[in-house]
Amino acid sequence: MKRGADFNNFWKSYLLSGNRNLLYVLGRGFDPRMCIGFGAILGAGGYGVRNCLVIEFDEGPDSPSRRHISLVEKNLKILKNLIQFRGEILTKSVRMWSGDGPGRRRVGSRNAAAVFWDISDLENYTDIVIDISAMPRGIYFSLIGKILYLLDHAKKNDQARLIPNLHVVVSENVRLDKKIRDVGIDDNASYVHGFGRGLEMEATEGIPKVWIPILGEGQRGQLERIYTLVNPDEICPVFPSPSLNPRRGDELLIEYRELLFDQWRIEPKNIIYASEQNPFEAYRQIHRTVCHYNRSLGPLGGCKSVISAVSSKLLSIGALLAVYELKETGMSVGLAHVEAQGYEIDEIENVGCINDQVELFTLWLAGDCYE
Amino acid sequence: MREPRNPFRMRTSEHIESEATFLRLFGPGVLDLLPKENLWDRVQIFRSAPGGGKTSLFRVFTPAALLTLHGFRANEDYKELYQRMRDLGVLSDNGPHLLGIMLSCARNYAMLDDLGFDQSRKDRLFFSLLNARLMLATLRGALTLKNLRYPEDLERVNILAPAYGDFPVHVPVPGSGKDLYDWACSIERGICETIDSFNPSYHEALQGHDTLYVLSLMKPDCILCEGVPIVDRILVMFDDVHKLTALQRQKLLETLFDYRPSVGIWLAERLEALSPDELLAPGATTGREYGKPINLEDFWRTSANSRRFEYVITNIADKRSRLAYDAQIESFAGCLQEFLDGTEWQDRFNEAIKIISERIRTKIRSTKRYEKWVEDREMLEGTPRQRAIAWRALEILIERDIRKIQLSFDFGLPLEHEELEQKESFSVRAAAEFFIAREFNVPYYFGISRLTTLASSNIEQFLAFAGDLFEEIISAALLKRQTILTPQRQESILKEAVQQRWEEIPRKIPNGREVQKFLEAIHQCARWETDRPNAPYAPGVTGIALTMEDRDKLIDPKVRLVHPEYERLILILSACISHNLLEASLDRSQGQKGKTWMILYLNRWLCLKFGLPLQYGGWRPKTPAELCKWLDQGFRPPKKNGGGLL
Repeated sequence: MKRGADFNNFWKSYLLSGNRNLLYVLGRGFDPRMCIGFGAILGAGGYGVRNCLVIEFDEGPDSPSRRHISLVEKNLKILKNLIQFRGEILTKSVRMWSGDGPGRRRVGSRNAAAVFWDISDLENYTDIVIDISAMPRGIYFSLIGKILYLLDHAKKNDQARLIPNLHVVVSENVRLDKKIRDVGIDDNASYVHGFGRGLEMEATEGIPKVWIPILGEGQRGQLERIYTLVNPDEICPVFPSPSLNPRRGDELLIEYRELLFDQWRIEPKNIIYASEQNPFEAYRQIHRTVCHYNRSLGPLGGCKSVISAVSSKLLSIGALLAVYELKETGMSVGLAHVEAQGYEIDEIENVGCINDQVELFTLWLAGDCYE
Repeated sequence: MREPRNPFRMRTSEHIESEATFLRLFGPGVLDLLPKENLWDRVQIFRSAPGGGKTSLFRVFTPAALLTLHGFRANEDYKELYQRMRDLGVLSDNGPHLLGIMLSCARNYAMLDDLGFDQSRKDRLFFSLLNARLMLATLRGALTLKNLRYPEDLERVNILAPAYGDFPVHVPVPGSGKDLYDWACSIERGICETIDSFNPSYHEALQGHDTLYVLSLMKPDCILCEGVPIVDRILVMFDDVHKLTALQRQKLLETLFDYRPSVGIWLAERLEALSPDELLAPGATTGREYGKPINLEDFWRTSANSRRFEYVITNIADKRSRLAYDAQIESFAGCLQEFLDGTEWQDRFNEAIKIISERIRTKIRSTKRYEKWVEDREMLEGTPRQRAIAWRALEILIERDIRKIQLSFDFGLPLEHEELEQKESFSVRAAAEFFIAREFNVPYYFGISRLTTLASSNIEQFLAFAGDLFEEIISAALLKRQTILTPQRQESILKEAVQQRWEEIPRKIPNGREVQKFLEAIHQCARWETDRPNAPYAPGVTGIALTMEDRDKLIDPKVRLVHPEYERLILILSACISHNLLEASLDRSQGQKGKTWMILYLNRWLCLKFGLPLQYGGWRPKTPAELCKWLDQGFRPPKKNGGGLL
């Protein structure tokens, strides 16, 4: 993982090391951070194609996000100006709903996994970069999961002539995160497509369930819905600590005190801590916790572990990696999530000022550095 | 898990981990919901808003709960429930006589619809998954009932083929529990892997089933343990049926009606009220194939049962109170002060009497028609509160009478005392009490009865509000202060709680801001009607209604093509109903003869938020066109006089 100034240094030296054909995947949205990562990578120079795949989320005509269409168009204009002649802008639409009306279901996660059908969609590139800054979690979880699956599968079966590297980019800005709010969350939580297989099976109904939620502010409704879905026997909440705001853990504890200790009656010793800005630490903590419970509950047939990341996007990558890897070892593990109907953003007086406060993170998830 | 600090925060049934605790907290009165006849041999549908108690009701009939209840039958906390279950024939001193199999439809059934198959294949996979899961749940239940280990002891269970009818050859019956377990597991595993796989070509090999075969095995003489039937009776319970797709639900119901299984089948689903799915499959008749759907909230809301609901709820509250480890509280209701007749309120009520009586005298100074009525009030004995209410009721009745005689131009004879007695109904007194509370800033939302009403016949809602009050009670106990909450403190806590709920609406509910705007329009309409000086809908209006004909038009896609504005209305109404902001009651024949209505009452917590009375009964008819206008413009009062009593 590289961040801040190291982000730029890494990409400069990486892109200058040879001809690299990049496919940069980002979500089309109103978040002012949509193009920051791409701009930084283009600015790093180097030779090769720099295509950009823009994923458009079809949230239906009633989505609250439609209110910010002017911000979306502004971002697209910035994107067009950035890419110039370096590459193409490709678009793919992901339908979020199965239909219209009250009976509709969430299908965004499944459709996101279908953005790349098989390895041939990726073979022409040396590097796939997924920028999750302006992408909903339910989308990038499945998207990244599917790409990891295709890469692993291709490697195992020697299917592709060129297996690309996979990177994830996040533009972090806590102040801006607080200005963006969920508007209307879904009634029901669900397992992210590709990460829910054994968790709802009747055959394993009696096996204990462990839920590991990574906590973030203002997510009470989401946590309640996920709790209803999972119905856990044990809860191990993850508090982001250490964090930039040293009191963040305390503030989260106060916010969720009644939920954690009165309603769910968790044991304080179950609390896990993971650094706010290090997804790999979150990955290690979750990995360790799941393995520990599986070992301890082995005589009872093991356990089912469910992770949910209602926290920063950075930490959610740690959760995703842990779940993906544990799933591949055969453990019963999954990702539970609940989407928002849409988002709204407060007025931002000075976008430039906000952009200056953004810290870029890049995570290299698969490829040459692991060989 | 830790001991509960505030036992009211232990909410829904599924999340109370121990059977003993669950049963201890379960109110036996809830069993009054069950029909008296044909409970065990036909399809019965239960509907309610979320938190209405459907899952708790089902859970009581599961093997683990029955065994626990049997084991604790001599314990005081469980005696009443045990006796009720005994009366139902479910339990005896020898143990459970029923195998209750509960299957949740809230799993991944709906995702079958997203697979790239043709519809008939999806239907077959749906039945396969249901068959497999029903079999697995049956095997697990059978072993539990016999205190055997699952899945280790599956060889001790045998499943026989039904005596009559053909049975598909691919189902391994007759066979051991292990054979059927392996069969069901492989089906379930294959389908779940298909649903969740990143591999698009994985799912080609799956087989499907034509129908719900496994139901034919749900007979006492088909399920044996060591050669002996395990029970006399079987009950299959499908929970969360609303989570199936519309087509899956229809297929399930059609199958259940076609099969006419000789076991009890219960289905629990959320009341949607605007879904054509609520219409049951054609060709099925009430009484024969299925019992009339039971709407839990409607059941509790009838005048015959509302007292019973209060009893059940109070019973549940007392049980929860006793679980708190920080405080010794035997009776929850005992901690809620119920009266306003104490000295601290006397001045307020005396002032109210003075102001109201002067108002009345001013109004009627030019006539002697109401002399005897006013005399009656002046001579009335009672507490200041009782007299204030009586005066206010008089003011309403005089206003009504004035309007009547103005219309008939009959300035009539003086009215007698007896006429006052006849006209002063419970609803007029209730309206009077409400108006006094508003005008003179007296608490209104307090006491166990009002708290029960505030629950809108929803157990979970009651627990939420009671939990907030209990928080204050246990804090007082910790500080060694008085644990009885005054009426103003109760009202203050509840107002804070409902304000928080109101503020959460835009965050938690789809189209939350529009929902709030719509509810605000209903509030304004209700307020305008309620505040009329003659209180025509005493004690007040707290809802609206559409004719069932209009409701059917709203959900008809052909009508929506002609009226595209109805789409938005349906979206908002559906959100309100499914989130229990509006309580929907279908096919009510009230008001105009020959018409049936879909009545939409504000959830009672919204009545508290908006300062409306809590009683049911007052609603105004509206058309879809009017409601669509409200979505855009809000409520606009009609131009003629009305409203603004105070």
